[in-house]
Amino acid sequence: MKDLLRIKSLISSDIEALLNQQVKKEAFSSSAYLAMASWCNRNGYDFSSEYFFKQAEEERHHQLKFYKYILDMGGNAVSPEVTGIKQEYNSFREVFEDALDQEISVTNAIKNIYARCMKEQDFVTMEFLNWFLKEQREEEYKARRALELFEVIGEEGTGRWQIDKHVGQIKYDSEA
Amino acid sequence: MIATTELTLWTDVFSTKTGAVYQCDAERCWYVDFAGKVARFDHRNFLKLRKAVYAIDIEQKLLNTTTDPDVEIIFICACDHCYVLSLAQIISLRELLEGTFVMLELNHIIHDRLYSNSL
Repeated sequence: MKDLLRIKSLISSDIEALLNQQVKKEAFSSSAYLAMASWCNRNGYDFSSEYFFKQAEEERHHQLKFYKYILDMGGNAVSPEVTGIKQEYNSFREVFEDALDQEISVTNAIKNIYARCMKEQDFVTMEFLNWFLKEQREEEYKARRALELFEVIGEEGTGRWQIDKHVGQIKYDSEA
Repeated sequence: MIATTELTLWTDVFSTKTGAVYQCDAERCWYVDFAGKVARFDHRNFLKLRKAVYAIDIEQKLLNTTTDPDVEIIFICACDHCYVLSLAQIISLRELLEGTFVMLELNHIIHDRLYSNSL
């Protein structure tokens, strides 16, 4: 008897479900960043707004990467419904705290998929995920650095204005 | 499990008292003998059937005391077949599909361990 399921798809249905969950997570992240960009823009933090627009774009790019991978491997990529995006924030700092939480949760989700791949010996998907693991280093670094600015600059006086200016300059170019 | 007959070229995958699933290698599809009919499912639709059946909350249906009939219509998009099943039949179909996918998984492991390594 032929192994028809394997002939049709390289990834198992469990991995496919996890990857589809990740598609949704990345879509959620992208929308959340858009909401942050909007809030920052409305409150006069133009550099941060620009920063979050770029982040939203990046998350969308990640989403499509997962989406196309599922399809290329013979799976069924599901276009996700995204609901429950937080639109209002209590403070400038809260926006960045949420951004870091978001990135930590994405890193954890990718680690979970990786763990599942190891169990199934799905080396192909593991290799695909390596790019994302490296990407998360940068994403978490940037989110953490933004919060660090609140500590080193301080919010008093023109502090928030300074922080906003520096958020636009955050870069991760480590060769580690 | 693997009892191929020359005439039909269908392989028994799994069967219960209420139904059976056969695989046809030539057509690359499965035939589900259940609820009085034999229905052909290709890879996509077979997975959709599994998803639809697994999504039914049997416990909730059992606890439901309203006067609605315990009937579930399983309709799969872009598939010729449709099932109208009672609660008992849903449980049977679920059992049949669960067994089938365990067997397909087993078949996958056998292919992996025996054939792939000897190529």
